[in-house]
Amino acid sequence: MTPAAPNDYVLGLALLTMGLPLLAFFLVFFLTRRSVGLSCFISLACSAVPLLCAWSLLLGHWRMPVPLLWEVVWMSSGGATATFGFLLDPLSLLMLTIVTSISFLVQVYSLGYMAGDPGKGKYYAFLSLFAWSMISLVVASGLLQLYIFWELVGLSSYLLIGFWHHKFSASEAGKKAFVMTRLGDLGFFLGIIVILLHLGDLSILGLNQNAALKLGPGLLTASALLIFCGVVGKSAQFPLLTWLPDAMEGPTPVSALLHSATMVAAGVYLVSRIFPFYQASPEALAVVLAIGAVTMLLSSTMAMVARDIKQVWAYSTVSQLGFMLMGLGAGGYFAGVFHLTTHAAFKALLFLCSGVFIHHFGTNDFFVMSRSGARGLKAPMICLSVAGAALSGVWPLAGFFSKESVMGVLAGLSNPLWLVVGLLGAAMTAYYTFRLLFVMWRPCESAEDPLHGGGHGEHAAWAYWVMVLPLIALAVFTVFLGWGGRGLEAFLRWHQEGVAEAHHGWLVWASVLVVASGVGLAWLEFGRAGAAQAGFLSHLPALERLFARRWYLDDLYRLLLDYVVYGFFSRLFTINDRRVVDGGIDGFCRGTAGAGWLLSFLQSGLLQFNLFSMVLVIALVGLYFLLV
Amino acid sequence: MDNQFPYLSAVLLTPALGMLVILFLPHRSTRAVRWVSLASAGLCLGLTLRLYQIYDQGAAGLQFVERVPWVESLGIFWHLGVDGISLPLVLLTSIVFFTGVWTMWELSHRVKEFFALMLLMIVGVYGVFLSLDLFFLFVWYDVSLFPMYPLIAIWGSTRKEYGALKLTLYLLAGSALVLPGILYVYFQSGLFTFDLVQIAQAGLAPDVQYLGFFLFLFGFGVLAGLWPFHTWSPVGHVAAPTAVSMIHAGVLMKLGAYGVLRVGMYLCPQGLVEWSPLFALLATAGIVYGALVGLAQTDLKYVIGYSSVSHMGLVSLGLATMTAGGISGSVFQMFAHGIMTALFFSSVGHVYDRTHTKLIPEMGGMAKVMPRASFFFILAALAGIGVPCLASFWAELLVFINGYRAYPVLGVAAVLGLVVSALFMLRVVQKTFYGERNERHGQAPDMTLAMTLPRAMLAATILLFGLAPRLALDLINTATTPLAGMFR
Repeated sequence: MTPAAPNDYVLGLALLTMGLPLLAFFLVFFLTRRSVGLSCFISLACSAVPLLCAWSLLLGHWRMPVPLLWEVVWMSSGGATATFGFLLDPLSLLMLTIVTSISFLVQVYSLGYMAGDPGKGKYYAFLSLFAWSMISLVVASGLLQLYIFWELVGLSSYLLIGFWHHKFSASEAGKKAFVMTRLGDLGFFLGIIVILLHLGDLSILGLNQNAALKLGPGLLTASALLIFCGVVGKSAQFPLLTWLPDAMEGPTPVSALLHSATMVAAGVYLVSRIFPFYQASPEALAVVLAIGAVTMLLSSTMAMVARDIKQVWAYSTVSQLGFMLMGLGAGGYFAGVFHLTTHAAFKALLFLCSGVFIHHFGTNDFFVMSRSGARGLKAPMICLSVAGAALSGVWPLAGFFSKESVMGVLAGLSNPLWLVVGLLGAAMTAYYTFRLLFVMWRPCESAEDPLHGGGHGEHAAWAYWVMVLPLIALAVFTVFLGWGGRGLEAFLRWHQEGVAEAHHGWLVWASVLVVASGVGLAWLEFGRAGAAQAGFLSHLPALERLFARRWYLDDLYRLLLDYVVYGFFSRLFTINDRRVVDGGIDGFCRGTAGAGWLLSFLQSGLLQFNLFSMVLVIALVGLYFLLV
Repeated sequence: MDNQFPYLSAVLLTPALGMLVILFLPHRSTRAVRWVSLASAGLCLGLTLRLYQIYDQGAAGLQFVERVPWVESLGIFWHLGVDGISLPLVLLTSIVFFTGVWTMWELSHRVKEFFALMLLMIVGVYGVFLSLDLFFLFVWYDVSLFPMYPLIAIWGSTRKEYGALKLTLYLLAGSALVLPGILYVYFQSGLFTFDLVQIAQAGLAPDVQYLGFFLFLFGFGVLAGLWPFHTWSPVGHVAAPTAVSMIHAGVLMKLGAYGVLRVGMYLCPQGLVEWSPLFALLATAGIVYGALVGLAQTDLKYVIGYSSVSHMGLVSLGLATMTAGGISGSVFQMFAHGIMTALFFSSVGHVYDRTHTKLIPEMGGMAKVMPRASFFFILAALAGIGVPCLASFWAELLVFINGYRAYPVLGVAAVLGLVVSALFMLRVVQKTFYGERNERHGQAPDMTLAMTLPRAMLAATILLFGLAPRLALDLINTATTPLAGMFR
């Protein structure tokens, strides 16, 4: 499978896709950010063109014989070479289309959401920076390029989470996201170094083809696990999962774009990008599976007690990412990627819908929204319900098909435990999603006109509609994407003949049953007339507390940071620096000065004393020579 | 090549000439003093850019060589030349010199003396980077150190006499090791010449290299902030005025690393092979230690001082790897760190001038008060963290790759330092620039456009070399590849 060089037309399209967002960033950030209208226009134009290019590339290469590769040397020194370029194959084209589509829709949506914000120009600059980094990550031809843009995506995430940096919680969340993902990236970075030193080739194609042959099994597993550390950080997997819920401090469109649909999916994308490499190491795949499973369970429990609408979706993002990794870890390449695709559509939709409510009611608490009359906003409410149903895996929405395909892979494993975990996760997902939906559906108690909520509801109607239009586009995808599964599978597996993943007839009924039980429980507690509006967990306060405090993971990190990093190393080293290292030097200097002071007494200036010293010294020297 | 314009002498003598002119100007004509300084800095920058442009990368090696006998009986020559290692550092000096003079434009206290001393210091810096004669190299080295004392003690702040004294004594103690080293090499080589190239070609006996490298490593290493001889650096940086901090942390510390590289490693390659484990250990200790101590600081300038200790540790680690990539990374890190730290100090200098504090707890929300100064500081902080597409990233990448190749355990420890440095930089950014606006400094003015320009130059350099690292690295590789062959 040697790659071909792209023709001029494809090269042009690809370079436009990769270059325009960067251009937009520089233009907007350094020149036009004071004039909001112009900034929005530049940024939108520079995301619309890549959108068209990406779709045209995808459709133009629906049956592509070989991958297309184009690269230039970015940096080269002493045997280490970083290339910059693109590798177009079905996977990267699919992801490119997802990224550009959602990025464009979010930029449109933000016109309304960020209306009136003084920093709107800067906001669009950061969105363009993100689009550039994410696109270049997706099409990266080599692991080093991927890593570089992986870090840049982290930077844009930092800037966008902390966009309202006058709020302490926002700047704190941005810092936390950056440092925690950086912790995972260390592993990624070391993994790259190990591969570079032992394989000497960082190109993705080379890695997928040769790694298994040239690296020994030990090194292969070690490097695969090191790279997986990066995935754990970026895709917020256990144990580095707590930064993602905090990242919801950013503006809601940012949460939709970065922290659900695209950026956090980059981790899953990385595993699928070098999937043959992972497949060569069953141990590494087992770890991927286990981490995905633990994450899915943990974060689902957290979502069951959250009252903040964005928190619920954040936990659910974490758990769905874990679910994708379970699919990949079980060997289901297509299943993982398919779920990533549908998840991008319905999770972006969930966030954008929630954004309309948050914008309108000025609160994140969905119980309060419901009391203020959330039902009144018809279009967002319908979209939210569709997306929520898709998330729970209700037929015939997109989520149903992709979940089925992951479940099918899990059922193929010899150990039934993984399937049980997957079904349990699905049940919890259905429960917490419908818990939220039932609450939001409740009829309004107060007579207040819902169209005048407590938030930015006063904004013009155009702001509302400009936010609703992207919802409708995403809703269309959410409804119909699932039916394209077969076609997508053929597209993604163009080079492997007939390796369709097994389907189990009974499995469909099992998962329908599981989802139905989750929905039913939610209905009993929240939906039916006269329901208590309290989950079964409120009877188990210890458990509820455990879930609400995120299994005490954050407290653990806080302790480690306060007592080990700050309290021990930092403090000890600082004392050492002031007292021992610097104090030692000062002491030495004082000693020198003191010795000079002592010796100064010898210089009494008295002639007889000088003569006496002279005679004494000569006598001692004479004595020495006499004796020796 | 013989009859061409003597670029290197021109670069070296322009600031000297500027200093002489300033000395003859009357005290009161501060305007003229500033313009003369800026003109000589601009001329140097122009000459350097021209040099950079016409340096023949295909031919590589030393170019623009000038060799005139000075004291022939002792083997002392006026011998200048640049290669892929010194040229980027000369460019660094010119950029920091130019922007440094510009940022001190508003100085009003004893203007004439300040600029005269600053120009003298710059002459010394250029001299070290350009000289290929050990005698001159040492003389210029000391010329660049002496002006620090009055510059800090007169125009400084925060325990300035103490800082100035400590810094000067420390660095002179270092050069007290360098001088015996040079004389030792001079006599042991048997050539009775101070010519660096000749001695390197002839080669020294292994035991001479062993002792020689030790003397050069610790002599020059003090100035490079080698752990544990680094404590002069934060104290000195805190005490120094803005432009002096810029030149000091940006350029002068590189003289130390350059000395280890040019004198120690060229003359005593086998000495490096012997001493490299210790060198790498001290370097890694500096990287991690500097970042951890930086976490606990509350003074902005101390924070930058300790980040310099950490970043200069990377330079040392790169040198200690004895590989072409590692040394390239190290030289590039010298360049990148120089620009970055100059940007740091120039933005902190502005904040300090306007608010009269550099204590982090007394600030907060500065991004609203001074958006420009904050932008430059945050950009420098991001460069310091090693964000890709900013110049330092590539340098760190090369140092880490080769550091891990040469010393796996130390390499991993150094990479761990990355997380700590991210934590401590972002913590400072958050506490100083984010959050609610502190009303005490709510009215402090931001940079004027004229004062923004020099900072913008530095920022643009960081971005340019970050996006196109080959601008520097291709040049550096021409010198480091043959050098790495000497360590077999």
